Amino acid sequence: MGRLTVVGTDVDIAMKPGETILGALHRAGYAATSGCKRGGCGICKFDVVDGAISYREIVADTVLSPELRASGTCLICRAVPEDDVTIATRPESTVRCVAPFLTALAR
Amino acid sequence: MTILRMGYVHARVTDLARAKDHYANTLGLYPTLEDDGKLYFKGWDEWDHHSVVLEEGGVGAIKFGFKVDQASDLDGIEARATAFGDCTVTRMSAGENREVSDGVRVHLPCIDHTFEFYHSMTAVGLEVGTHNPDAFPRHLVGIGAPMLDHALVIGEDIDTAARFFMEVTNFYTTERAQTTLGDDAQTIAFWLSSMQKVHDIALLRGPNGKLHHFAFQMRDWNDILHAADIFTMDDVPIDVGPTRHGITRGETIYFFDPSGNRNETFAGGYTSYRDRPTIVWTADQLAKGIFYHAREIKESFTTVFT
Repeated sequence: MGRLTVVGTDVDIAMKPGETILGALHRAGYAATSGCKRGGCGICKFDVVDGAISYREIVADTVLSPELRASGTCLICRAVPEDDVTIATRPESTVRCVAPFLTALAR
Repeated sequence: MTILRMGYVHARVTDLARAKDHYANTLGLYPTLEDDGKLYFKGWDEWDHHSVVLEEGGVGAIKFGFKVDQASDLDGIEARATAFGDCTVTRMSAGENREVSDGVRVHLPCIDHTFEFYHSMTAVGLEVGTHNPDAFPRHLVGIGAPMLDHALVIGEDIDTAARFFMEVTNFYTTERAQTTLGDDAQTIAFWLSSMQKVHDIALLRGPNGKLHHFAFQMRDWNDILHAADIFTMDDVPIDVGPTRHGITRGETIYFFDPSGNRNETFAGGYTSYRDRPTIVWTADQLAKGIFYHAREIKESFTTVFT
């Protein structure tokens, strides 16, 4: 499996198969902006800078329009990286470490 | 003219199979019909055919149904809604909604939500029956939610919407949140009741057409805690709780269905009366009103809608 990195942060996580980006961040001791965690509210929008993601669950077009998808916006609660992926926060979103001992385990 | 209760919520879900698992196996609602891409559910302590309708495609609320006491009540609602203006009023025929009588449909553009008023629904019966019943069904599933309680909807002009419910459907305001106690205060939210529940519907100022949550009535605090345990077992994302609201005094958990629609389990809350003084919350104390213990606004609670 690939690695997850977040631009401008020290996030560098070895992903597990089928794991969502938010799931990996939580496993690695990071808190990240999120809402319903089920792809319905659109609060956890991040930009995919490099790499590809897919969705294992249906995400409504009213939450994430085809245009947003095409321009690289993803919902981290539902997005599953295909391989190495780099994402970037947006002005309204944050990622911060809340449990360094978990971060060390996820390297 | 009496509105008995919010009889049904009709919501959108992204995946019908996942939704069925949540509402039937985690919430323990009884599936009563699956037809034309829609799922219908009732709680064990409800007697009408359904209180939740789910439709595949998107997220959020489609409409809410309120049951009136008498068929003749609909004439009054239609007349008063038409006189009220600022809304679209249409008659709906029996069967337009499965198992639901004829009624009156009102769309309020001021909040972009649709409400239906109906006088009867196919009777299915209480799960414990009506003759010498037991206290609850012996083999409840999941949290065994007994019945639908209320919904909180979001819209831009909640003042007009609240006036609609009070003038057209004879609701009264049990509690209200506003910016200050001054004459120029702006309202933030209304909790409105038809009979003696602390609220049948609540209105929160925000983007039009959005759903904040719909809630199921639980028996008590013990059931709330038990429900939270079940949510952990079923990997249901919990937004807030278990805790208590200052507003309504209700005991609560907020959580999300598999499509991200917020649900609530609600217990307690005081018995209200039409002549009970309206409780007022000011913005500086709103956090205590919303979460009585944490006394902090949780960002997801005030920004996450479907």
